[in-house]
Amino acid sequence: MLAIFKRDFRSYFTSPIGYVFIAVFLLVSNLFFYMINVLNMYSDLSALFSNLLFVLMFIIPLLTMRLLSEEMKQRTDQMLLTAPVKIVDIVVGKFLAAFSVFLIGIALTFTWPLIVTMFGTPAVYTIIGNYVALIFAIATFISIGLFISSLTESQIIAAIVSFCVFLGIYFMSALGSALDSPIISKVLNWFSIFSRYSNFTLGIFSLADIVYYISVTVVFLFLTTRVIEKKRWA
Amino acid sequence: MIEVINLSKSFGDKHAVRDINFTINSGEVVGFLGPNGAGKTTTMNIITGYLSATAGTVKVHGIDVLEDPIAAKRYIGYLPEHPPLYMDMTVNEYLSFAYDLKRVKGISKKKHINEICDSVSITHVRDRMVKNLSKGYKQRVGLAMSLIGNPDVLILDEPTVGLDPIQIIEIRNVIKELGRDRTVILSSHILPEVQAICERVLVINNGVIVANDTPENLSASISGEHKLSVRIAGPADAVQNTLRACEGIRTADMSLEHEDGSCEFVVEADPNVDVRKPMFFALAKAGYPILMLKPLDMSLEDIFLKLTTEEN
Repeated sequence: MLAIFKRDFRSYFTSPIGYVFIAVFLLVSNLFFYMINVLNMYSDLSALFSNLLFVLMFIIPLLTMRLLSEEMKQRTDQMLLTAPVKIVDIVVGKFLAAFSVFLIGIALTFTWPLIVTMFGTPAVYTIIGNYVALIFAIATFISIGLFISSLTESQIIAAIVSFCVFLGIYFMSALGSALDSPIISKVLNWFSIFSRYSNFTLGIFSLADIVYYISVTVVFLFLTTRVIEKKRWA
Repeated sequence: MIEVINLSKSFGDKHAVRDINFTINSGEVVGFLGPNGAGKTTTMNIITGYLSATAGTVKVHGIDVLEDPIAAKRYIGYLPEHPPLYMDMTVNEYLSFAYDLKRVKGISKKKHINEICDSVSITHVRDRMVKNLSKGYKQRVGLAMSLIGNPDVLILDEPTVGLDPIQIIEIRNVIKELGRDRTVILSSHILPEVQAICERVLVINNGVIVANDTPENLSASISGEHKLSVRIAGPADAVQNTLRACEGIRTADMSLEHEDGSCEFVVEADPNVDVRKPMFFALAKAGYPILMLKPLDMSLEDIFLKLTTEEN
């Protein structure tokens, strides 16, 4: 697992992808920070965080698209699958590599609470809650992206499909709050990563939602191992 | 070392491998020979655990590949047809990754990689990116990867494909060297290669093993008869009569007439008779000098064609 993690993590920074991801993320998110918090002299970061998930939805596919599809295309999966390693270790190693790149991006946004603290009195626990929620919500995105990457040999297709799925989840929550029928709206909201996330930006730290994010992540990592395993039986 | 029992593999309706059985002993160098699409790669992929069999079992060192894949894979080093190289790494980084991936124990990483690089002669390209290497060096790096962890069994799928003649000879020598203290299975559709490297040949066609023997035995058992090709200076008819009159020669047919007044004959001798001496004296007496004499043993190529076409 460690070997795979190290290799994949490195490969983000021997190719432009890791840098592009972090640069785009910081550029757009800092632009939001500037418009929402700096221009308005507004110390609450929650409004900013409610936009962050939307921003990340566009660029997470950059991180996940090549994780498994490129291995299949270059046939390096033969090396991984004939080495004495469990498939689960391969999948988790790759997940952690993408997740770590995302965490680097997040770590570079710690400037915001710093700036806000310098000029005002921030709600410390809300900020912590927002960070935790974002990290776990993105873990689900990465696991979904990784799963989609295991389905195709083309990284472009993996990226586009991942993006469409994220967009679908986003519209599901929009639809969930727009519909009259309370049952359908409840079901849609239950499944939506976005509607659960909005609790945190309102300052509610809900452990159930964190558990939900972790569960979805685990389910997709498991499905990814099944897809790889199934290829052997084709 | 490797036991394959009633192994079958089908992809949908297509049967890639049908009920094959063979055993490979420790220290043997065995060649899989067969036309493209015969099932060589599929068999190798199953032995290495990359694919799973539809039916049958594969045991490496007595360990069932399906039941305990991790333990079985430790004994195997596999070089697939397309070497699984990460293009964005240097050779050093790649081999170090392979070392970590295979969780090699008991040998220091640096020493182990140094030794392997020496044995496949890639020491001078160790700091170069894999993508910038030539095809031959890529193949060697792939071979080096399969050697990491000192596996007892080395499985090489078409190790010389796409290389130039000099590289082919070099890789062959490397494989021969490696085969001294290891079990090696290699596949090829190039016959002289198998003849040169392997102690035993498994001929596979349409997913079935059609022959399993040493290259020499295969050659002997199928050819059965002994033929010679002779080029003789002299008029064709007269030479032919002389040959036919010679004791021990069953048939003598002209195969080629040269412009310089010589002609070539294919001479078939009676079984277990060496006709070369009587033939020489008969021709010398008649005044027709022999310009060339060579045995027409059936090459592995002919045997291969015979085996694979008989099957159809």
